[in-house]
Amino acid sequence: MSPAQTRRALLGAAAAFAVAAPAYAQGGRSDGEILEELLALEAQLAGAYEAALRRDAIDTSLGRLLLEQEREHIRGIEQAARSLGGRAPRAVVPPRELGAALRSRAAFARFALDLEAEALAAYTSASASISRPGLRRPLGSIMACESAHAVALRAAAGLPLLAGGPRPE
Amino acid sequence: MAVRVTRRAAFGGGAALLVASCGGGDPPPSGGAEPGSGAGLLGSLLALERAVIVAYGASAPVLRDDALRLARQIRAQEEEHVSRLEAAIRDLGGEPPAGRAAAEYERQFPRLRTQADALHFLEDLEERQLRGYLEALQELPELELRTMAAEIGADEGEQLAVVRVLAGGPASPHPFETGAL
Repeated sequence: MSPAQTRRALLGAAAAFAVAAPAYAQGGRSDGEILEELLALEAQLAGAYEAALRRDAIDTSLGRLLLEQEREHIRGIEQAARSLGGRAPRAVVPPRELGAALRSRAAFARFALDLEAEALAAYTSASASISRPGLRRPLGSIMACESAHAVALRAAAGLPLLAGGPRPE
Repeated sequence: MAVRVTRRAAFGGGAALLVASCGGGDPPPSGGAEPGSGAGLLGSLLALERAVIVAYGASAPVLRDDALRLARQIRAQEEEHVSRLEAAIRDLGGEPPAGRAAAEYERQFPRLRTQADALHFLEDLEERQLRGYLEALQELPELELRTMAAEIGADEGEQLAVVRVLAGGPASPHPFETGAL
């Protein structure tokens, strides 16, 4: 499925339920608030990859690929949020640690892995808890993409490809 | 005109056959799980997890070095997924179906002669597993079950990316994994 098709899926799922109530996920946040949080995280990621590309803190082809994919996620979630009547995206302040992370590729890889982990956790929660069933699968497909981003960053940094292994009981 | 069958298509066909068999050949959870509780869907995911564990084992003889080490780690994660799915089915009042013998799964595997063969087969299986968990997100009725499906789906996304890298491809070729419809 092409990115455009998936964006349409996000938009269609949101639009189909735009007039239906309740719009609240289990956990008390509205679907719009969940999408806003995801947008803010995506904007941080995109901003970080843009800065890293400018400062040569990431391999160029990898940085461009990750940046383009984060932008695709932003486009899809913005469309879904707009169809729910969401607010315009808020300005995003870059994380304080970004400046120091841009000093070397190794430092940026660690920083980006932390940010990707935060996004992965947010998508894992959102894809399960958002109230509109039609949005769960598209958010899950972005979640899996963020998992893959972490693997790409680890491969580029020479880190073990698989983060965890079995979790302790 | 000669029909060219790509390696990916050939091994994808093997994965498709295996998935179809998992859906159709394994019994649903028995016991007192309510219809619509999600136990049946969890049983299908469980059947595929078991097949994938056997597939990693069957791939081991042709895998080397990092590929072999990571395949063992992934297999251990899949075993953890099996435990979580079995526990969830029991919590719903069902009894997880017994798995089939490894030889029964292996009969449906394509011939794995090289590391590349094995990695293509495993990549297809991982994609199909991920798709299954994403579908489950839409269909499972309870938040707790969907959270489990999302967590396992995140693991599957990571495993899929690792297998791709081992096969010499990009970890993240698409912004939306497996599509979303």
